[in-house]
Amino acid sequence: MGKKQKKEADYQEAAHCSAKVSWTAFAILCVMAFIALVPLLWIFISSFKVEAEVIQAGGFLYLPKTWTLDNFKSLLSFSNKQLPVYYWFVNSVIVSGATTVLAVIIYSMSAYAYAKLDFKGRNVIFLTIMFLSSFPAITNIIPLYKMMHSFGWLNQLIALIVPGLAGVSNIFLIRQFMMAIPDVILESARIDGAGEVQIFRKIILPNCKPILIAVGLFTFTGSWNDFLWPSIAINNLDRLTLTAGLQLAKGVYSNKVPQMSAIATVAIIPMIILYLFTQKYFVRGISLSSGVKG
Amino acid sequence: MTKVSAAKSAAKRKKQLVPYFFIAPHLLLFLIFFLIPMFYGIYASFTKWDLFGSPQWVGLKNYATIFTNQESTFYRQFWNGLKNTVIFVLICVPFQILIPLTIAILLDKRPKGRNIFQGIFYMPTLFSITSVTLTWLFIFNRSLGLFNHLFGTDVNWYGEQPYAWMTIVITTLWWGLGGNLIIYVAALSGIDRSILEAAALDGASGLKKFWHIIIPSIKFPLTYTIIISIISQFNIYGQPLMITGGGPNESTYVLLMYIRNLAFGTGKSVAGMASAMSTCLGLLIGVVSVFQLILMNRKED
Repeated sequence: MGKKQKKEADYQEAAHCSAKVSWTAFAILCVMAFIALVPLLWIFISSFKVEAEVIQAGGFLYLPKTWTLDNFKSLLSFSNKQLPVYYWFVNSVIVSGATTVLAVIIYSMSAYAYAKLDFKGRNVIFLTIMFLSSFPAITNIIPLYKMMHSFGWLNQLIALIVPGLAGVSNIFLIRQFMMAIPDVILESARIDGAGEVQIFRKIILPNCKPILIAVGLFTFTGSWNDFLWPSIAINNLDRLTLTAGLQLAKGVYSNKVPQMSAIATVAIIPMIILYLFTQKYFVRGISLSSGVKG
Repeated sequence: MTKVSAAKSAAKRKKQLVPYFFIAPHLLLFLIFFLIPMFYGIYASFTKWDLFGSPQWVGLKNYATIFTNQESTFYRQFWNGLKNTVIFVLICVPFQILIPLTIAILLDKRPKGRNIFQGIFYMPTLFSITSVTLTWLFIFNRSLGLFNHLFGTDVNWYGEQPYAWMTIVITTLWWGLGGNLIIYVAALSGIDRSILEAAALDGASGLKKFWHIIIPSIKFPLTYTIIISIISQFNIYGQPLMITGGGPNESTYVLLMYIRNLAFGTGKSVAGMASAMSTCLGLLIGVVSVFQLILMNRKED
């Protein structure tokens, strides 16, 4: 009896302690999260400032005196020839969208074959491409540029789409996911006379939705944020992507705080919106890719 | 009879070809846009090449230059770039493990708003490097920046060491700790609660629990994140380019910036030399990648 009471008291103490611990954690996290948000808050606030007022205040203002949308208006207008943000945005959507759709189709086809079909050389081919792809793509960029040149793809958006479809790690991810689908289902579909293409479309793809969405998101953000390659392959101002084009902002706006803040804000907001709608898929996808179970 | 078996074997042959139809599109793309450029890049490192003419075979001359010819600017650029890249990896990676791990442990205490916190720390991972650097530009700007005004300091963040590295590392951490964070959160939530509670009842301190229970239970994800962080940080390019421009005195000029300039800069392209440098960098990263591959395969078994 006494022993039981003591144990209960222990548990209560532990529970009390854990409540205290979770409040301490909450407080520390609040501070850290605030620090992490400061740069974002700062560009959001600064993007509404009036350039002349900032200069008048000696180059620094905590809050805008007058809140204005002019920085966004001039930045996003079609007549902004130095920084055609509008074109860059459309280019980025085309490049990232096309890369994502094609990648998900091509990668899931490959993954299906490596996971579920029996064929000569399956493991050898898969292990070989896994091994080769682990070598960094740095040596590739110079010859790839030459290749784009000879294909006539330089300064074309296709140069930003097609080379991005050669990755292997996402195939590995999808394959892992597909291997968990029981063979019995596929076998019974085969006995019912379904062809591999049908099985792939009707059984495999619907069952792999979470990983396909995750891979799609990784591909989309990876392509959207790619910097080195677009800045090499594209010289034409109107054909740049948003990520590569932003590099030029510093040269145009130099120390104009409101304008620079506005362009940073414009670049960041699409990703924030995307994230708000897809958070759980990102989280799940990363857990899957690292092999820990979420 | 023979007709039937012939039809059957034709059908069988067709069936045998189906898997290749599934892997063909990717294999073709992999061959053309990964494998051929990779081997061509290695080949180009043994040539003198201006990117547009045909490469002239020069054997090991490029490597000899960057490894032994101390007079050459290529020698200086290679070693300075490599040194700066390695410095960055060495400073950045420990923080890129420890900070997300700390946040993950805090999140594991089940505080209120857990998902919101995780979202806030993860979100910057999705931003491009150019927008991230523009976001931080007016935090550390000497005369116009928030930091110096807020704390009444006059630090020349971009123009003096060690501040230039600090700015680059802080920006990188803000940008890139989200991936590791999510991996740690998932790993920690997989630890059996009862073990931790039993340890707490036995009077184990927080630090003891950390070393003897938490670290061993997340050994695999921890190793994985260390390896992928090293690989990704070896590819550093955008941060110094956008933040410091490689300065002051080329002390943050990283190898990829030199490689890019040699191959695609304003002067005549020295793509052969640039290829030799990138092959060296590639080998270095490749060694780390092999560890990753071994780790992934071991996990799969």
